[in-house]
Amino acid sequence: MNITRTIKYEADRVKGFGDEVMKVPGCEKLKDCIQCGTCSGVCPLSVYMDYTPRQVMELTRFDFKKEVLSSKTIWLCASCYACTCECPREIRITDIMYELKQRAIHEGVYPRKFPIPVLAQEFEKMVTANGRISEMPLVMKLFMKTDPLGAMGNWQMGLDLMKTGRFSLASEKINNREQLAKMFAAAEEKA
Amino acid sequence: MNSNREELRIGFYVCHCGHNIAATVDCAEVARYVGTLPHVALSREYKYMCSDPGQELIQQDIREHKLNRVVVASCSPLLHEHTFRGATEAGGLNPFYFHMVNIREHNSWVHTDRKEATEKAKALAQAAIERVAHHKALEVKRVKIHADVLVVGGGIAGIHAAMTMANAGKKVYLVEREPTIGGHMAKFDKTFPTLDCAACILTPKMSEVGNHPNITLWTYSEVTKVDGYVGNYKVTVKHKPRYIVEDACVGCMECIDACVYKTPKFEDEFNEGLGKRKPVFIPFPQATPQVVIIDPETCLNLKTGKCKKTCVEACADRMAIDFTQQETFDEIEVGTMIVATGFKTFDAKRVPAYGYGVYPNVYTALEVERLVNASGPTGGEVITRDGRHPKSIGIIHCVGSRDKKTNVWCSRVCCMYSMKLALLLKEHTGAEIYNFYIDIRTPGKGYEEFYNKLLDEGVHFIRGRVGEVTDWAMTPEEEGKLTIRVEDTLAGYVRRIPVDMVVLATGLEPQQDAQDVRRLFNLSCGGEGWFLERHPKLAPVSTFTDGIFIAGGCQGPRDIPDTVAQAGAAAAECLALIDKGYVEQEPNTAFVLAEECSGCKSCIPLCPYTAIAFDESSKVAVINEALCKGCGTCVASCPSGSIVQNLFEDDEVFSEIKGVLAYD
Repeated sequence: MNITRTIKYEADRVKGFGDEVMKVPGCEKLKDCIQCGTCSGVCPLSVYMDYTPRQVMELTRFDFKKEVLSSKTIWLCASCYACTCECPREIRITDIMYELKQRAIHEGVYPRKFPIPVLAQEFEKMVTANGRISEMPLVMKLFMKTDPLGAMGNWQMGLDLMKTGRFSLASEKINNREQLAKMFAAAEEKA
Repeated sequence: MNSNREELRIGFYVCHCGHNIAATVDCAEVARYVGTLPHVALSREYKYMCSDPGQELIQQDIREHKLNRVVVASCSPLLHEHTFRGATEAGGLNPFYFHMVNIREHNSWVHTDRKEATEKAKALAQAAIERVAHHKALEVKRVKIHADVLVVGGGIAGIHAAMTMANAGKKVYLVEREPTIGGHMAKFDKTFPTLDCAACILTPKMSEVGNHPNITLWTYSEVTKVDGYVGNYKVTVKHKPRYIVEDACVGCMECIDACVYKTPKFEDEFNEGLGKRKPVFIPFPQATPQVVIIDPETCLNLKTGKCKKTCVEACADRMAIDFTQQETFDEIEVGTMIVATGFKTFDAKRVPAYGYGVYPNVYTALEVERLVNASGPTGGEVITRDGRHPKSIGIIHCVGSRDKKTNVWCSRVCCMYSMKLALLLKEHTGAEIYNFYIDIRTPGKGYEEFYNKLLDEGVHFIRGRVGEVTDWAMTPEEEGKLTIRVEDTLAGYVRRIPVDMVVLATGLEPQQDAQDVRRLFNLSCGGEGWFLERHPKLAPVSTFTDGIFIAGGCQGPRDIPDTVAQAGAAAAECLALIDKGYVEQEPNTAFVLAEECSGCKSCIPLCPYTAIAFDESSKVAVINEALCKGCGTCVASCPSGSIVQNLFEDDEVFSEIKGVLAYD
C-alpha cells in the first residue's frame, strides 16, 4: 500500500490564482458559489471526471492551481452549458472551464495526447498561419499528435470521402496574410 | 427676523452614531463650522445623541445656555425626530423649536469621500440653522381612536390575532377571502418538531373564532376599499355570493348528498387537486363556518339554469340555498387593522428539470401533506398517482428557493417540513427516504434535535442540489422508476438514485395579488414583494402606515410558532393604541388664511383625504385639521397662495434653501 500525504498546507496553494481567475470578465460570480453541486448533477460528462465541476470551482477559489490545471475535468467539459443554465447563483461555469483550459495550455500542463488541447493549439496555429481552417489537414494533424494508429482505423471513411471529393490534403490560404499577422500582433500587444 | 421674539439662541449637535456617521463625516469640523454661524449659541459633537446622556445634554444646555432652538444632525427623522422633540420639550421648549438634519441615510451611508461628505454635512446643517429660526411653537392634536379592529386573513396569524383582541374585549372583524378560515395550516397533517396534529391544535381555535361574541367572521369576503387614518379607518368589505344563506345553513350537508352529480367530479382545491368534490361542497370537515358553498363554475343550475335542484329539495324548510344571491357590501369603521394575508407556495412547474406536471409521481410537499392526512383524499394511505406503494422516496429541498433564477431567499420552513414529511412518509410506507439538501437549517427550539431524530430513524441525507429527475433508465434497477441525478457533495461523487416517488419542497412566495393588497392598505414592499415592516428589528409588526400592522407569512417566510408570536405582537400593538384612547397628530397640517382666500374651490377636489370643505357663509375654503395628513397638495395648488402648512411655511422652506445655497 502506497501511502501519500493528502492534507493541504497553505504552501500548497498558489495564492492569488483564484482571485486572478475571478477577475476575468464572466468569471466573477465564482465568488457566490455555495457548493450545492447542481453543476455536477446536470453535467453529462461528470460520469468520467476526476474532480466534479463543483470541486473544480472550490479548488479554483482556494488557489489549488496545480490540482485544477492538471485535472481531467477541464478537458472533459464539452461546453454544453447545462451547468451554466442551471446554476442557482448564475455562475458561468463553462466560461470558467475555458479560462482554466487556457491557463493550462499557457502553463504547458495539459495532457499531451488528449485531443482537445491539441486540437485547440493546432486550430490556432493554422488560423494564424493561413487565415483559414482546412479540415482535413487539421484532422490529420490531430490524429498524428494524439493517436497515429487510430487514424489507420478510419481508413474506410477516408476512402469514401476521397471518392466523393471531400478529402483534400491541400491547405487553403487567404490572400494578404501579412495584414492578418499585423492584426494578430496588434491584438497581442493590446492583451 | 423674529423681531417680536427674544434673541435667537440655537443649540447645534452633531452625532457620530458610533462609526456610522463619524467614519465618513468629520464631525468635529461640522461642529466647528456651525459654531461660527450667526445665532448659534453653542455647537457640539457627541458619540450617540439618542442615548440618555445625549438627550440629557440637550435638556441641560437649554436650561444653562438659554437655548430657544435646537438642531440635531444625525440619522433619519423617522427614527429619532420623536426622541429629540421629546428632549427639547423636557428641556422646557416647545418641541417644534427642534429641527433634525439627516446626515446618515442622506450622507455618510451613501458617500465614500470623507471631505465631500463633510462639506455636504456642513451645507445641510447650515440649511437647518437658517430654517429653525423661523420655526413656531405648535401644538400636538389628539384624535380619538375607534376601538374596533379589522383583521384581514383568516390563517393561523389572523385567527390568533383576532382571538387575542376579542378576548381583551375588543370588537373584531375577521375577513377571509376563502370559504373557510384556517389558511395553509388547515391543510397540514402534523406540525414540526413536536408532530402535533395540525387540525387538533388549529380547529378548536377556528371554532372559537366562529363562536366568539366579539368576532364578526366574514368568510368568502374581501376588503375592497380603505379610507381614513389611524384611529378612524373606513373600510368597505365585499361579500362574494356563496349561494347559501349562512344563517340558515346548519351544515347538515344533505344538499351535498342530494346533488344531481352522484359522484364527486371536480378538482378539490383543498386537497390540492388530489381528490374530487361536487359543485356544492364544504372544503373540509372542520371548516369554519360550518356552511356549504356552491361553486358557480361547476353548478349545473348556475351554469345552465337547467337542473332538478335536488339540493333545494333536500334543504327543504331551512331554505338555505339561494341561487339569486349577489355580491353585497358592508362599510365598517375601525381604528386599527392587522394585515395577515399569508403567502403562496412556489409553482414547481417553474423548475422543469424536476418534472413536476410531467411525471405523475412527482409531488409538491403540500400535496403530500394531504396525502398522508387521515382526512385527505386517500384517507392517509400513501399511494402514488399511478397506484403504487412507494418503496423509495426522494425529497428535494430548496425548490424555488435560494436560486437567482426563481427566488433568492431561503424559505425557512422547508428543511423542517421536509424532515417532518420524511418521518411521516417513513411511518406510513416504511420506504427508504432520501433528503437532498444544500444546507440543513434548523434554527428553532427542538429543531436540531428533530434532525438528530431523523438520522436515528435511518432517513438518508445527501448534500447536493438535484440536477434532474428523469424516467430515462440507464441501469436495470432504474427501469420503471424516477431517477434522481445529484452530486453527493460530501462524498464527491455524482450519483443516480432511482426512487418511486419524488417530493418537491417548494418554497414560499408573496401572494399573487400582494401588490394590490399593498396599495389597498398603503403598505410598502421589499424588492421581493413581501410586506415591509417599519423596522426589521425594533418595529417588526408595524408598517409605515400608522395603525396598520402585519403578521405572518405576508411579511416573509416563517413557521407557525413565529407566525403566532407575531400575530400576538400585532394584536398587542393594536391594543396599546386602542387602550391609550387617542393618537397624537403631527401638527404639519395646512390651514387657510380666510382673508386671502378667493373662494375659487380649486383645492377642494385635489385633497386626497377630502379634508377641505367650502364654507358657504363666508365663501372660503376650510380645512378639517383632523383629516389633513399634511401632504401639501392644496398649498401648492392655491392660486392666491392663501393656504399655509405648518412646519412648511414659505419662510421656513425658503430659508432652508437659502442655507443650502449659502454654503459653498
